[in-house]
Amino acid sequence: MITARALKKRYGDKVAVDDLSFEVRPGVVTGFLGPNGAGKSTTMRLMLDLDHGCGETRFDGRRFATIKHPMREIGAVLQARAFHPTRSARSHLRMLAAGSGIPAARADEMLEFVGLADVKHKQPRGFSLGMAQRLGLAQALLGDPGTLILDEPANGLDPHGIHWLRDVLKSLAAEGRTVFVSSHLLSEMELMADQLVVIGRGKMIYNGAVDGFVREFTQSIILVRSPQIGKLAAALSAVGGLTTEPAGDGTLRVTGADAATVGELAHRADVVLHELATETASLEAAFITATGMSEEYVARRTPTPGGAA
Amino acid sequence: MIDALRFEWVRLHTIRSTYWLLASALVLNVATAFLVALLTRHHMLTNVIVGAVVTAGGANPPVPLAAVFVAAIGIFATGHEYAYGTIQPTLTAIPQRSTVLAAKTIVVAVVGAGFAVVSMVVDLAAGVIFWHEVPDLTIEPLAGALPGYLVLTVLWAVLGTQLGQLFRSVAAPLVVVLVIPLVVEQLIFRMSNLPALDWLQPAVKFLPFLAGSQLTSLSGEAAGSDATQFGLFDRWISGSIFAAFIAAVLAAAWLSFNRRDA
Repeated sequence: MITARALKKRYGDKVAVDDLSFEVRPGVVTGFLGPNGAGKSTTMRLMLDLDHGCGETRFDGRRFATIKHPMREIGAVLQARAFHPTRSARSHLRMLAAGSGIPAARADEMLEFVGLADVKHKQPRGFSLGMAQRLGLAQALLGDPGTLILDEPANGLDPHGIHWLRDVLKSLAAEGRTVFVSSHLLSEMELMADQLVVIGRGKMIYNGAVDGFVREFTQSIILVRSPQIGKLAAALSAVGGLTTEPAGDGTLRVTGADAATVGELAHRADVVLHELATETASLEAAFITATGMSEEYVARRTPTPGGAA
Repeated sequence: MIDALRFEWVRLHTIRSTYWLLASALVLNVATAFLVALLTRHHMLTNVIVGAVVTAGGANPPVPLAAVFVAAIGIFATGHEYAYGTIQPTLTAIPQRSTVLAAKTIVVAVVGAGFAVVSMVVDLAAGVIFWHEVPDLTIEPLAGALPGYLVLTVLWAVLGTQLGQLFRSVAAPLVVVLVIPLVVEQLIFRMSNLPALDWLQPAVKFLPFLAGSQLTSLSGEAAGSDATQFGLFDRWISGSIFAAFIAAVLAAAWLSFNRRDA
């Protein structure tokens, strides 16, 4: 269990992390979401005492710096290419093992597990980003820790790699480990995470289940198709709280009611329906709604010569 | 602390730069020793010649070149952590920053000491080729200069480690360990000979790198005529000035490491 309380970090006048408190429970994958510059990496660095700030994080009740061999309890990777380019992958892991009282043979086991056994003696300067991410995961798992903190581990992985990572993290969580993983790849997070911590501009936006986040930040849309679309639109518009919008081809998009309500209203108005469907909102839609005002870096349209923009 | 020392030892011996820096330093020292022994083979064997061979030049060079290579090992020990971002895995394995810095300092210092001993033995062997005898190394100035060379190499190793930590890079500390002794101190030293700038002379004995070089002085207790003109302190007091300078750099590096974000 990770318990973060009142985390705060300033860079001069800029507040990077603003009074963040959350818990990460064991047994599930908790995703850490936010737009670029939202403060995800800074938060993770604060949690691991790499950065100095306010607040505290406890891992099963203890601060990171007070744990004698943290790699045996907390596996953390915050940067994909955090290795010396001429020290082999095997030596990199054996070095960390030596500092944590972990048997050196564990390095070979982990390289085998992440699929880097064939290149374990090679200098990692030529590793692709995906290979570097795999080495990072091997590093995180070196001490067989009960807690994992991974910053953007899916970056650079190919689709097979992402699928593999998702399965690994899911199975580690299923073993009762605490898994806290940041990403801006919403499609992966949607499949991987059970719980979410969503931040924007360093502030907490949401902390809870993925389904709850989607429900909270999106409205369900009902698609209804009828040969009597005008009559249906009039019947639905007469009900308070409902909004309708023509979607072409005899179809209406209805918000503010579920499919059953729309069906009953159509029945009462004696309207024939050819289709009645719920358009499920995605995590991406919810994320955009939730963080729309919190984007740190927004591209602006460049004025073109002559004024036509 | 034992785990941190193991970590640092594995870190040090699993990169190639450690080997080529030590090999370069050893080749440089042996070549110097060989040349001095060769060029003085027809002279009477004096303690000054023996000392110059065994310490590869004594206090004569403005910087002890082999020690600069050893300092580079120290610079890499800390500077590479930032150049390659490995400070993050290091601190997630050993979060106690003072322990990390202490382990790096101790391991690099031990490697420096080991290098100094090996270098002196090999240099001596190069001299024996021409001398056909093993000279008595227990009489002054050898009895002081040889341990002084060991201490000097260790101090340079510690200095490199701390500068790498202080600057969090490799290039800037390398510039410092070359430019200060070769340019800044030499400039002050030379300018103090000008009558208009002779008020600089009392400061010369406190120039840290110049003071450090007195650890290997072979001209009596200090550096011959320089000792008289500039009032240089004796071997061990001069060494203490260099050590005090390094202690100040160490304190700054330790404070910076503990106070700044990783």
